[in-house]
Amino acid sequence: MTPDRRLEWDWFAGSVPENVLLDESAYLESTYSFHNFRSRLPEAIRVGRGSSVYLGVMFDLGPGARVTLGEYVLMNGARIICDSEIAIGDYSLISWNVVLMDNYRLPLNPSGRREALRAALQREHRRAEAEVPSLPIRIGANVWIGFDCCIMPGVNIGDGAVVGARSVVTHDVAPYTIVAGNPARVVRAFKAEERRPHGAAHA
Amino acid sequence: MNSGESTSVSVPVGAPGGWANGPLPPHVRLGSGTLISGEHAFKRFRAKKSDALVIGDNATMDGVHFAVEADGRIQIGDYCYFTNAVLLCELELRIGSYVIIGWNASIADSDFHPLGPAERIVDAIACSPLGKNRPRPAIARRAVVIEDDVWIGPNATILKGVHIGAGAWIEPGALVTRDVPARARVLGNPAQIIGEVS
Repeated sequence: MTPDRRLEWDWFAGSVPENVLLDESAYLESTYSFHNFRSRLPEAIRVGRGSSVYLGVMFDLGPGARVTLGEYVLMNGARIICDSEIAIGDYSLISWNVVLMDNYRLPLNPSGRREALRAALQREHRRAEAEVPSLPIRIGANVWIGFDCCIMPGVNIGDGAVVGARSVVTHDVAPYTIVAGNPARVVRAFKAEERRPHGAAHA
Repeated sequence: MNSGESTSVSVPVGAPGGWANGPLPPHVRLGSGTLISGEHAFKRFRAKKSDALVIGDNATMDGVHFAVEADGRIQIGDYCYFTNAVLLCELELRIGSYVIIGWNASIADSDFHPLGPAERIVDAIACSPLGKNRPRPAIARRAVVIEDDVWIGPNATILKGVHIGAGAWIEPGALVTRDVPARARVLGNPAQIIGEVS
């Protein structure tokens, strides 16, 4: 990152917001990821040592939102819709077109949505949103989330779990289990001997 | 309504190839206060019918793909808000007012290819660079109707012939293959009713 918080390789003429804390070893592909970023928290996003945030990741964060990426996290084109808190643990892998949402942004009630859509015309970027409840998402360490998954508000995913491609996760996932489907269900659990790397694994 | 003129857009500064004040293709009619953004909006717009894409007033079409084939027609009401939705149309998509479609959701009114294996070979050849002027087999197409006040979550898919009743709520990632009653809340693949909107 340059002193004025730009990225030398960036295709987008943006800068990294002041309240985004990138470890110096972390990689961020483009500041376009912050196009919908509007959190005002002092440490709104933390990206830990050795983590990568590739093209297409969008940090769609409301004013009070916080997102934490641990160490060695690998993230491709995920859409992070967050108004409270989303935490992702070390070594977790998040693949393309994954949606992580801690809230629905608009009320279930149609008349409330009409009001929000009319109000959106006056807002910056015509943003359509309303006061709706948010439930934080916690993704443990060593979790792998496949293509096109949706992780719904309030979901906790335990360490070492795998979420199969195109799953929609509506309930908590126990550590070291594999879930798949829409809605996601348990497919199997990892055996104890599968849970730890053999020997010294990482840099 | 203005017809065939350029429209204002909300493309981010510096985004590559944004639909930044480009001319609208023919057969498009937009209401007042309606915005279209995104480099993909009309890349696959091959409509030949008059009024092939008609959008009402105050709609926001952010990064939407209007993939309309020669005979296709899309009608969208007022105050709709679509984010990076993919609309695949060979026949008809009829969408009401105050409809919200989330990021990366797709709607198709066609199967695009025939079901039977023999017909699919014929179709593959007809679609190939060697298939000039060969007729394609019959393909199932049925209009999709989405009534007012429907919310469609990100990564959801709506298939041909589906009619979604007013106020329904389609959860993220749902694959909708059958009609959804008004105000129902559906989830899953295939989508099942899990409740009602309050």
